[in-house]
Amino acid sequence: MSDLEAYRAKAAAWLASMAPVFGRDARKGLSEADDLALGRRYQKAKFDAGYAGINWPVEYGGQGLGHLEKVTFDAEEMKHGFPSFYFGISLGMPVPVLMQFGSDRDFVKERVLKALKGEEIWCQLFSEPSGGSDLAGLRTKAEPDGNGWKINGQKVWTSWAHYSDYGVIVVRTDPTVPKHKGLTYFWVDMKAPGVTVRPIKLAGGDSHVNEVFFDDVKITDDHRMSPVGGGFAVAIATLMIERYVATDSAGFGPHLDLFVDLAKSVQLNGRPAIEDGRIRQQIARNYAMRSGLDSINVRARLMMQAGMMPGPEGSLNKLVAVRSRQKLSELALDLQGSDGFLFDEHASQKEDWASSWINAPTGRIAGGSDETLLNTIAEKVLGLPQDHRPDKGIPFNQIPA
Amino acid sequence: MTILYDEGQQAIATESRRVLEARVSKDALLPLLETVGEYHRPFWDTAKEQGWTALALPEADGGLGLGLIELGLIAHQAGRGISGAPFLTSSFGAAKAIELFGSDAQKARWLPGLASGETIGAIAFAAGPDALPRQPDVTFAGDRLEGTARSVSAGLAADVAVVLANGSDIPVLALVDLAGVQRSAVASFDNSRLIADLSFSGAPAEKLAAGGAARNGALHILALQAVVTAHEQTGGAEALMEIARDYALTRKAFGQPIGAFQSVKHRIAELYGLVELARANCIHAAAREGAADFIKAAAAARLSATDAYDTAARDCIQIHGGIGVTWEIGLHLHMRRARSLAIEQGSSLFWEDILVDRLAGEAA
Repeated sequence: MSDLEAYRAKAAAWLASMAPVFGRDARKGLSEADDLALGRRYQKAKFDAGYAGINWPVEYGGQGLGHLEKVTFDAEEMKHGFPSFYFGISLGMPVPVLMQFGSDRDFVKERVLKALKGEEIWCQLFSEPSGGSDLAGLRTKAEPDGNGWKINGQKVWTSWAHYSDYGVIVVRTDPTVPKHKGLTYFWVDMKAPGVTVRPIKLAGGDSHVNEVFFDDVKITDDHRMSPVGGGFAVAIATLMIERYVATDSAGFGPHLDLFVDLAKSVQLNGRPAIEDGRIRQQIARNYAMRSGLDSINVRARLMMQAGMMPGPEGSLNKLVAVRSRQKLSELALDLQGSDGFLFDEHASQKEDWASSWINAPTGRIAGGSDETLLNTIAEKVLGLPQDHRPDKGIPFNQIPA
Repeated sequence: MTILYDEGQQAIATESRRVLEARVSKDALLPLLETVGEYHRPFWDTAKEQGWTALALPEADGGLGLGLIELGLIAHQAGRGISGAPFLTSSFGAAKAIELFGSDAQKARWLPGLASGETIGAIAFAAGPDALPRQPDVTFAGDRLEGTARSVSAGLAADVAVVLANGSDIPVLALVDLAGVQRSAVASFDNSRLIADLSFSGAPAEKLAAGGAARNGALHILALQAVVTAHEQTGGAEALMEIARDYALTRKAFGQPIGAFQSVKHRIAELYGLVELARANCIHAAAREGAADFIKAAAAARLSATDAYDTAARDCIQIHGGIGVTWEIGLHLHMRRARSLAIEQGSSLFWEDILVDRLAGEAA
């Protein structure tokens, strides 16, 4: 058994032992507040067992292991339905960026440790009402104020902001230069006066995203994590931190086996649906697509294990998997016919077709829309030209709104 | 078996690409479309000289003892340049059938020639839309074959064939020397595939397997060939994606390269996705030879590669506009080949059923 396989086996055993306390069944029927409290205890248990900050430096409370161990653990963890998503963004992007760019090292160390133990949560304040894909077009501004800064504006789609203690934020500090050049990166205290968080209820009934308003929020200059005007580079670094995270070829929807089971259990024209050519074709096509993604992911892991850089094909995962899941979920509802009307807004997207279907559009937009991902592949991988960008090189305050 | 290519395998890919790019061009392939019964001899001479014919056969039988991964890499490169003959796959299929089911005498008679490329093999399983018929048109009785195997790729040039025949209501896998067998050429949209009807009229044949072993054996041979073909299809799709990209970078309309329009650049990015999924499935399937899930892996490779090549052919021509449909530019060579490879070794309809039968058996 390789070292990694031994690591996987040990992690799997530990996770299995935690499942009765923190897993899918233990969470059934909990209110969100109770579920979050359970999540904090689970995060602390991970920290105590050495499974928090797996690939983070030991001096910050991490384990000092590789990305591979992290991905291995995540893949095993995903099987049990633990309440870990409250910390996904926090530990995925803002806290690593704080580790890398925070200036007051003692403060940074304290925050990182508390975040790892689940005591504090961080959010990422990037998207705005005026633009999500066009990050550099953001309008929230920070103006010099005494020795520090004063922030005014609005962010949106901020995951878990309503539970967050701190956030990282990109704001405009100079509107007289082209849009990428006038941005600066800060951290903010989400409990500071002038910060207002308003949850947004999404189409599926869930509300883990928020609008966040900033009204004369004052921060000192030691909150700054980039040079003044150098915020865009740090924002991009944030987004690049984990290119190969634990992926899911099911597009974060149900496993294909569940569709096959459904097709075996319902009748079409008096015969099991699994014998219907239209259904068979979709099963086969989805299997081929998912097995291709699985193979891409296995290959990426093997490459990292061998010290190589995985290819850009990893960027296909979300694009291909989520839109396929959307269509397959529609077909699953078709298969159930009028029985498919039954809807439980708390059902898991990974187990319930209606929940998977109604939440699928979010998956195709959040974290890079399909169209943005296609542009990235076309431009960065294939070397095709950028779109026509009329705002290029123009001072931000002269771009027609 | 790992799915990361080692240095030797990477060298096979690089070297075969270099040789093929130097010796094969569309100008040599275009006239073959209008000739029945000819193939691109420099392609096959190259395959023999480079040892590609021997690559995946056992050393004891004159082969090089490598496997599906290495042959797949060659097929990928052959697909990029549009291979000039179908023998790389057809001879491999026939040789594997003899290797797996033949007697020592049969192996000694046929395998060295198939390995050197001097002998050409063919596989005759299909009857029209049925890639693996329950009731084959050809019958086997008293060690002789009767009836006609229709539209056999490589049939015009093959010296030996492995035939799926009906032997008094059980399937038989039969080995037949084609020396005295009557062949009639089928004029097709891709003539260098050398497609022929083989009329056996009592041709002497030897039984390789019978009953369930014959049917399972035939499916296994088909799956091996399908994985090789899937590599070839992926190579073709990859080449088309690059051709489309290069054209979109140079061709200008409305004052800018057409690749700056999202309708064009997204189409090419989608091709990239199809090619990478097909490639990943091919690598996986080649590494699963001999494993319990090999048939599933082969089916997935076949389905995604057929989709990639057909789509790439459609879209690459579309992106070229008018010039794309001319005879001279030769994109139709790929379009034709995408379809002939989609049909050989069982169409997507066949592999979808093979795959779903297995998935439905597994799911609870």
